[in-house]
Amino acid sequence: MPVLEVQSIKKSFGAVEVLKNIGFSLEKGQSLAVIGSSGSGKTTLLRCLNFLERPDGGRILVNGKTVFDAAAVKSQSEAQIRQNRLHFGLVFQNFNLFPQYTALQNVTLAQELLARSQPDYQRSKKAILEEIRTRAQGLLASVGLSNRMDNYPHQLSGGQQQRVAIARALALQPDILCFDEPTSALDPELTGEVLGVIRSLAERDTTMVIVTHEMAFARDVSDCIIFMDDGRIVEQGTPDQVINHPQMERTKAFLSRF
Amino acid sequence: MNAATVIFQRLSESFWLNCKLFGLTLLFSVPLGFVVAFGSMSRFKPLAWLTRTFVWAIRGTPLMLQVIIIYFAPGLLFEMTPWGSGSSGRLVACTIAFVINYACYFSEIYRGGIEAVPRGQYEAGKVLGLTKSQIFFRVTLLQLVKGILPPMGNEIITLIKDTALARIISNKEIIMMAQEYASKGLIWPLFSTAIYFLVFVGGLTLLFGWIEKKMDYFRV
Ligand SMILES: Nc1ncnc2c1ncn2[C@@H]1O[C@H](COP(=O)(O)OP(=O)(O)OP(=O)(O)O)[C@@H](O)[C@H]1O
Ligand SMILES: [Mg+2]
Repeated sequence: MPVLEVQSIKKSFGAVEVLKNIGFSLEKGQSLAVIGSSGSGKTTLLRCLNFLERPDGGRILVNGKTVFDAAAVKSQSEAQIRQNRLHFGLVFQNFNLFPQYTALQNVTLAQELLARSQPDYQRSKKAILEEIRTRAQGLLASVGLSNRMDNYPHQLSGGQQQRVAIARALALQPDILCFDEPTSALDPELTGEVLGVIRSLAERDTTMVIVTHEMAFARDVSDCIIFMDDGRIVEQGTPDQVINHPQMERTKAFLSRF
Repeated sequence: MNAATVIFQRLSESFWLNCKLFGLTLLFSVPLGFVVAFGSMSRFKPLAWLTRTFVWAIRGTPLMLQVIIIYFAPGLLFEMTPWGSGSSGRLVACTIAFVINYACYFSEIYRGGIEAVPRGQYEAGKVLGLTKSQIFFRVTLLQLVKGILPPMGNEIITLIKDTALARIISNKEIIMMAQEYASKGLIWPLFSTAIYFLVFVGGLTLLFGWIEKKMDYFRV
């Protein structure tokens, strides 16, 4: 059973249809790269997955369970949406770290707040917080930031900030981790460190959806590639199929620019 | 006791009224400003429209007029005396006018501050499963406070000077007191009221400088 199934998602902004019938599925442990020209709807797709936009049509299933159904959208409460979105993590193009918290606090904040609703929170508060902290330190170490944990975002380079953002998203152990052009706000010499982290996540079988303009990276890291154009999936398949042997004219035209 | 000491004592007593009005106004208008700000940003359009019109009317008319209206209108229009009699009633009426006025000014500062917090901050909070109130209190509030500190400082300095308007409904604030001496031909008490304001504003300036420095550890 696929971990993620997206079924005929549609999304319009006013009269502009930005996503037209998007459907795909993703197996556990696989990474999916989404490529396509500017304005093709890649960001909107990720925002729909993370409940930042509400699709006008379609369904989203995680592990076979419906987490979003446009037909039943009214019956979803705030709390349910919040619960469902924890299946997904999102790493933003421009990091969006919380400036008033250190790298470590950025990683622990959400977990600490979520832990409050655990039944035994009051009794074992200290142990729970300690565990969260230890795990966060482990995560930051795994993205190569063990010596930067107590720095504030403005004291970190873009690449370091993005790695904190990745650790922050991982801390909630999402089923699917989404990246929206994670390196496009970075200076070229800093992209490598972030791509390296994502690569190692792929090697450890993290399920990921990665929107990227880095074709070589998409080819090397992903198990599957989707090429989007004008709100549609034009072509999908293995990296070899889509990047090395594209079938559609529009895919060829897009790839010829790289 | 010589005459000068007595005069300073009476000036100080009357400045206490300025201080009370200042403190009470802040106490109520700082939180109330948030209510007004959220009202003016409400997605329920009639409420937003109504709030903004009210804010516009308050900001567009003199505080002095508002003080007079609040004090006299209930009696003249409805034959009610909600403010009680005597000096405490006059202070209450004055405080209410000040609270409403300053809440409206603060609400505009808050609104600017809230809108200046990047959308990405809210979205990052949402994606991490935080509730709306967690996002407000744990993510955006401190950034907001840092952003609005300079305009709030200016506004609060204006407030202490505005308290002199309390005299318009015969609250015995410091300048009114000094003017009584002036009308008897003694001018120096009037000049010395400036010292009270200068010291107070100096203190506020130091305080705000200190808070801004405290919040210097992060950048928005
Ligand atoms: N909130 C919005 N309101 C109106 N139109 C929007 C909104 N968000 C996106 N769009 C439009 O939807 C289309 C797709 O945008 P989207 O950001 O998903 O593209 P993208 O593939 O991520 O592009 P890029 O590669 O430049 O990031 C664009 O035409 C954009 O102008
Ligand atoms: Mg985009």
